[in-house]
Amino acid sequence: MRRMFFNKKSKKKSEPMEIDITSLLDVLVILLVFLLKSYNASDLKLNLVKDLVVPTSDARKLGHHAVVVQVDSNKKLYVNSKQIGVIRGSGENADLLQRLKEIKEEDKLRSPASTAVRAINLVFDQGVPYKFMKGVMHTSAIAGYTEFKFIVQGNY
Amino acid sequence: MRKKLTQAPKLNLIPILDAIFIFIFFLLMSAQFIDIYEIGSDAPITSTSSEKMKKPPLNLTLVLSGDKITVKTGLDENVYKTYNFSQLDKLNEGLIELKKQNPTEESAILKPTHNFKYEKIVKIIDTTREISKPNVYITAIDHKNRKYPTKKLFEKIIFETQD
Repeated sequence: MRRMFFNKKSKKKSEPMEIDITSLLDVLVILLVFLLKSYNASDLKLNLVKDLVVPTSDARKLGHHAVVVQVDSNKKLYVNSKQIGVIRGSGENADLLQRLKEIKEEDKLRSPASTAVRAINLVFDQGVPYKFMKGVMHTSAIAGYTEFKFIVQGNY
Repeated sequence: MRKKLTQAPKLNLIPILDAIFIFIFFLLMSAQFIDIYEIGSDAPITSTSSEKMKKPPLNLTLVLSGDKITVKTGLDENVYKTYNFSQLDKLNEGLIELKKQNPTEESAILKPTHNFKYEKIVKIIDTTREISKPNVYITAIDHKNRKYPTKKLFEKIIFETQD
């Protein structure tokens, strides 16, 4: 009797469980649309330093990969996200000049064709006075970077 | 006789889900949640030209000091108009007039004082480079003397320092 009972139970076929994935698909589609809307084709990857607020602008030209110099609200100077010093006086900085020259040399060794690269991305905090901007631009120009690209935030 | 119930065939969503997941990972990896753009400006270069110019250059110069924006034109820097920083729309209108008179000119020189803030400079650059009002266009002339409608005013920005 007992044996028969167990045999009966094991003979029952268990149907595969069906999961309702409609809600998951909804979420995925929303995520996809959001990511597609915020997709930026620019090859410039920017790691903004602390205490730096980029001003807003109507400019719509996408940035490109180049050396990035940042100056935050505390006058700290960064080259490719690495702090190299603090801006004083007229804004010109010997460490900045040295670092930019080193980068230029490294680029030259890596690919001789890159000697023509003269673009530099300048990221200033919105409160930075012109004298510091001038100092950084002057130093960059001496190091061979004469095409200044001011990085701004799009406003909508 | 019993009627046979026809079951609707189930869609196999697994391949499309796989594709969507890969696409989402790619977009997440390349996403930048701050919209970054650039404003170009070249370091000033001095050049000499042996050719005689047909028309004297506009030499548009914007002197920025405190709250004032002084627009100067010509080689002897005659004052065209003076604006307050709060009158950027008026400045834009003044620049539209200058562009209409000089459709081939593309450069503007900015001369800020030492303490002039970067945020204000960016706002003035925006006003100088493009018509701010929507649906307003002007006629520009390209290098081959062809006319075309544009919103662009003085695209090339050059910085100069006040003495």
